[in-house]
Amino acid sequence: MTSSGMLRLEELTRVHTAGQPPALDGFTLDVPAGSCVAVLGPSGSGKSTVLRLTAGLDAPTRGSVHLDGRDLTGVPPERRGMAMVFQRPLLFPHLSVRDNVAFADRVRGVPRRTARERAEEYLGLVALGGYGDRPARSLSGGQEQRVALARALAAEPRVLLLDEPFSALDTALRAEMHDLLTDLRVRLDPTVLLVTHDPAEADALADTVAVLDGGRLQQTGLLRELYTAPASLAVSRLLGGRTEVAGTVRDGVHSSPLGDLPLPGWVPDGPGVLVVRPEAVRVTAPGDPAADVTGTVVRVRRRGLRALVVVEVPGPGGVPVEAELGAGEELPAGRPVGLVLPVAARAVVPPATTSAPTGARPGTSRASVGGGPGRRRP
Amino acid sequence: MSGGTAGRRWAVLLVLPALVPVAAVVGAALVSAVLLSLGLTPLVGQPRLSLDAWRGAAGDLGTATLLSLGIAAAATVVAAAVGLCLALAATAVVRRSRLLGALAALTIPVPHLVGAAAMGLLLADTGFLPRLLGVSPDAWPPLVGGEWWVAVVAEYAWKESAFVALVVGGVLASRARSYDETAALLGAGRWARFRFVTLPLAAPALGAASAVTFVYTLGSYEVAALLGRPFPEPLPVMAVRLAGSIDLTVRPQAAAVAVTTAVLALAAVLLALRALRRLSAWD
Repeated sequence: MTSSGMLRLEELTRVHTAGQPPALDGFTLDVPAGSCVAVLGPSGSGKSTVLRLTAGLDAPTRGSVHLDGRDLTGVPPERRGMAMVFQRPLLFPHLSVRDNVAFADRVRGVPRRTARERAEEYLGLVALGGYGDRPARSLSGGQEQRVALARALAAEPRVLLLDEPFSALDTALRAEMHDLLTDLRVRLDPTVLLVTHDPAEADALADTVAVLDGGRLQQTGLLRELYTAPASLAVSRLLGGRTEVAGTVRDGVHSSPLGDLPLPGWVPDGPGVLVVRPEAVRVTAPGDPAADVTGTVVRVRRRGLRALVVVEVPGPGGVPVEAELGAGEELPAGRPVGLVLPVAARAVVPPATTSAPTGARPGTSRASVGGGPGRRRP
Repeated sequence: MSGGTAGRRWAVLLVLPALVPVAAVVGAALVSAVLLSLGLTPLVGQPRLSLDAWRGAAGDLGTATLLSLGIAAAATVVAAAVGLCLALAATAVVRRSRLLGALAALTIPVPHLVGAAAMGLLLADTGFLPRLLGVSPDAWPPLVGGEWWVAVVAEYAWKESAFVALVVGGVLASRARSYDETAALLGAGRWARFRFVTLPLAAPALGAASAVTFVYTLGSYEVAALLGRPFPEPLPVMAVRLAGSIDLTVRPQAAAVAVTTAVLALAAVLLALRALRRLSAWD
């Protein structure tokens, strides 16, 4: 790998159709050399647009892309020193596996023999040594994506762009590819800009995460910080947060149908939505004095070894709170329980400015009931 | 495997309704032409195996064969090149310009005879083009009925290029863009992308369309008859002239010329299929 580059995206904006809202709106992001930054967002959030603008496949309506301080405006994709792995492997069907990997060298004018020898090295890196002679179409999905990765790395890009490259693979293969990429990062130290809709993938691969929603950057930081302190409802929802209780903050205490719950850090007074991750919520006996609230289990959702329970806390319309049970724990619907909401796990985000798309995600237990007293402790 | 055999048998059965009429018509026509050319089904006199018809036609057959192959090859090369350019242009500006696609598609339903007449009116020494350019008929090169069969090749190339563009464009439209972007991001410039990606991707379709164009042009009569010169004649023109002659004894010669044309076309198809199989191994 040649020296990895430092990428800076500045105020990137892209309007596909005049009069329509922009697909990407004033997106600014720094990708330090040798780091991996993930752009995390739901479908249609504009994350693929980020990559296409970075790669030069589309031109931004406004804003610019800088690589090592150089403005890349007007530089065609082939001169940007970037390589991209797409969701589909897109191996050239008329070339063998080896010639696919040797492609970048061949178009650079490297003699065929040298290019093929180097291709074998890169195939070895992705654990596909000896596959060079095969036709590209004879490989399995996971192998194809490995070859696509080797082909991109063989181009020795200053920045490697990954557009949901593993989302079409099954869980086991995806984990394998994550390990491979982590290993390659240690060996080659590339600068990577990854786009994904999967928080787990971002967690497995990236140093920092930028959350994108509706074409706008919502929050950047370490994923752990984003989990514990999401900046908005959109970030919380994208990261799998399901409990949302509207209320009011005064003097560092959130008041809602769940009661008055002290918050871990300073939060401005005024209306705010309490969000708590299900993994942080502990389920205890209804009479447990440590419990912050009590309620009744109304739904149980299986997630492998651990089950997710929806506990309805009495309040206007019932306030659903989600909690993850310990491995192997069981609780039937209808059972009264107590819930511990650890102070460190409580976060308050501003209420959604537009009406929340409640119908968009069936099965979630979002509550948007008005705040009020109704403090109920056992 | 019995399942595989049964499946294959079923597939053959399904194809039979299409295969039987084709085999019957083409086979019967070819067999009767061969029999006629060998003197076994004479219009007058006793059937007698002889090569008289072949000997009679042999004088002009060589020239006619070369001429036909030449016209077909020239028209195919021009049609393939123009068709490929049209397809590339149409897929490069997807959606932005449908005009190009529409123009190419409009050419397809125009009959060759109409095309030939139009080409004649355009390119003849008293035609539209010399008048437009202000060139006197004497100074205008003999494009129609001239030594180089320019108008004939031009008509075939014009009409068949639209066919080539349609076939190749269909293939490129569905896959070329994503591969093109991938290649660009691997450092391939415009020319390298064309040379290493687009052309190989288009090759099977381009080869198939070219083969069809070649065989069609080789066996087509009307354009060469209208826009060509009286002598030497391409094979189909010669066959039609002999078959329509008032001298019934030359009918077997017409059959010999027709059989020659069919054999050449068959050979071209077999060669093309062989080449295409290699090209399409990855398609």
